[in-house]
Amino acid sequence: MTIFLQSLLSGILIGGAYALIGVGLTIIFGVMRIINFAHGDLVMLGMYASYFLFTLGNVDPFVSIVFVFPLLFLFGAILQKTVINRVLNALPQNQILLTIGIGLILSNTMMLLFTSDYRIISTSYSSGSFRLGEISVSTPLLLSFGITGLVTAILYWFLLKTDTGQAIRATAQDRDAAQLMGVNVKRMSVLATGLGAGLAAVAGALISPTYYIFPQVGQPFTLKAFVIVVLGGMGSVMGATVGGIIIGATESLAGAYISSGLKDLVVYVLFLLILLFKPAGLFGKSRV
Amino acid sequence: MPPRTRTRTRARGLSAFSIVAFIAAVVLLALFPKFVENPYAVHLMVTFFLAVIMGEAWNLIGGYGGQYSVGHAAYFGIGAYTVLVLLQTNGVAPWWGLLPALALALGVAAIVGSITFRLRGPYFVLASIAVAEIFRLVALNWKSATNGAEGILLSGVPPIVIGGTEIVNFSSKVPFYYMGLALAVLTVLVTVWFQGSKLGYYLQAIREDQDAANSLGIPLTFYKNIALMISAFFTAWAGALYGLYVGFIDPQTAVGLDISVQIVLTAIIGGIGTVFGPVVGAAILVALSEALRSNAITDLLVAGGLVSETSSIGIFLKDHLSHAHMLIYGFLVAIVILFMPDGVLGAVNNAARRRRARAAAGGAR
Repeated sequence: MTIFLQSLLSGILIGGAYALIGVGLTIIFGVMRIINFAHGDLVMLGMYASYFLFTLGNVDPFVSIVFVFPLLFLFGAILQKTVINRVLNALPQNQILLTIGIGLILSNTMMLLFTSDYRIISTSYSSGSFRLGEISVSTPLLLSFGITGLVTAILYWFLLKTDTGQAIRATAQDRDAAQLMGVNVKRMSVLATGLGAGLAAVAGALISPTYYIFPQVGQPFTLKAFVIVVLGGMGSVMGATVGGIIIGATESLAGAYISSGLKDLVVYVLFLLILLFKPAGLFGKSRV
Repeated sequence: MPPRTRTRTRARGLSAFSIVAFIAAVVLLALFPKFVENPYAVHLMVTFFLAVIMGEAWNLIGGYGGQYSVGHAAYFGIGAYTVLVLLQTNGVAPWWGLLPALALALGVAAIVGSITFRLRGPYFVLASIAVAEIFRLVALNWKSATNGAEGILLSGVPPIVIGGTEIVNFSSKVPFYYMGLALAVLTVLVTVWFQGSKLGYYLQAIREDQDAANSLGIPLTFYKNIALMISAFFTAWAGALYGLYVGFIDPQTAVGLDISVQIVLTAIIGGIGTVFGPVVGAAILVALSEALRSNAITDLLVAGGLVSETSSIGIFLKDHLSHAHMLIYGFLVAIVILFMPDGVLGAVNNAARRRRARAAAGGAR
């Protein structure tokens, strides 16, 4: 029972960051109907940004998100305006290939600039933990989970209460109808990509104290983000939030009970099963 | 829905010129090792043939069928791992090991196809990636058979001996050259046949409009499955040849996502849904990555006086650019998708057609 609770808790804690990554992907998909295969590489950029802020500017990784978010928001917005915008009406396959290409460019540029060496951020709390009864709780994971909750709350407020947020949601619901109602859908696409990139990067910064940082670290996050988004329902922010927690917990439990090498395999098998038997996900309408 | 491109919808079959040029090219390539003994040149050609085989194989399901599998590394890995595991741990000669490898690829393709072909568009792409990742994780974790992350290092390929005399000795690259050439020619011929066959027409109908094809009575999943099985068959064969030729495989180089992406790129860059598109794509990709690996691009920049060899930029480029071929792939795919959606061959054909149309209009005046 202790093992169960222990892995469930660590899974949920890491699931918070997964949720942010998934939410970013789902917002981009919702507004533009484009699956961003470079999403994990945006997480990687967030990790590097946090790393350099820490080593060069002595900024704590958890504080660094106030710099990392606007930085990557800008990056995402520029990426949308200059490149992704051109394939909005192209075949879905071509959109996917383009974002795969962008991902390759991002990860290999980082490799070219900073080599493929593994880097770590060692803060005073990196390996800290405290005990809660029988269970040990990792301090950095708990902190990052708390901040994730805060960021998610702000995001929900933004999407539900502000005019811009409602315009984004309207565009996601029906692009043409939103345009007829006077929503500037082009601007919403730029905003959504910026927001998605920013959220991915914030997640990257939040997990940077507990992960190795290297140029290829993004790829598994891309795949995980898809699993999360498909589980929650493509385009559903709520679904991605719940999906992130579920995938985090599943992965952690599979690691404890099956084998740590096979935990990703369990996640992919689960992914195929969802695609086949519940393609609409938990909170979405079927678009398959 | 208007036809997307003229290249893909024009009359099937090859022109007389293409047939003559193809035969001439094959004859020249067959004579190539007789005149060129430089092992590096032979190595480049083997790499080129492997890329052609995989590009043509992917083209059947991806180009003609419009089913963009980004998981062909699974079949490549099945071919490479089956043959090398059987050879290394059980001493099974590769030409016998090839049979179970190809059979396994066919079987896996049939199963994977019947599961994933129920999905469409991006969902199919995602599922194909997930399947390949599952195979990579199996290769990584099934240590007793695959030796895990350390990979398999071949101690040598046994010669082919018939009746006590040695027929083929694999100590040089030349036997691999001929095997690669033969298989590349075979895949091109299969593509020519496929393009004009009922199967090929069905797949193209599915690519243009699945629902319309279905309403005409084409069983979608069945025909997609057949095309995927042919595609997987040749991809696995290429994988086996690669494993034997290089003599080393590990989960990343034999089943990694990079392999899947490279296979797709070969077809996309040349031009999908055409017989010679993947050949053009393979030539471009192999030439480019070798130019990077051998630092030819840096040398060119230095020779052109753009960068000084001893400057910090020159040293940086020399040190790093040789590892950056995936970066160039990224730029290539972005450029092709944005500016040449029909691939290089498609862009050249379109330009030629425009010129002819202009000339015809000028003559009529």
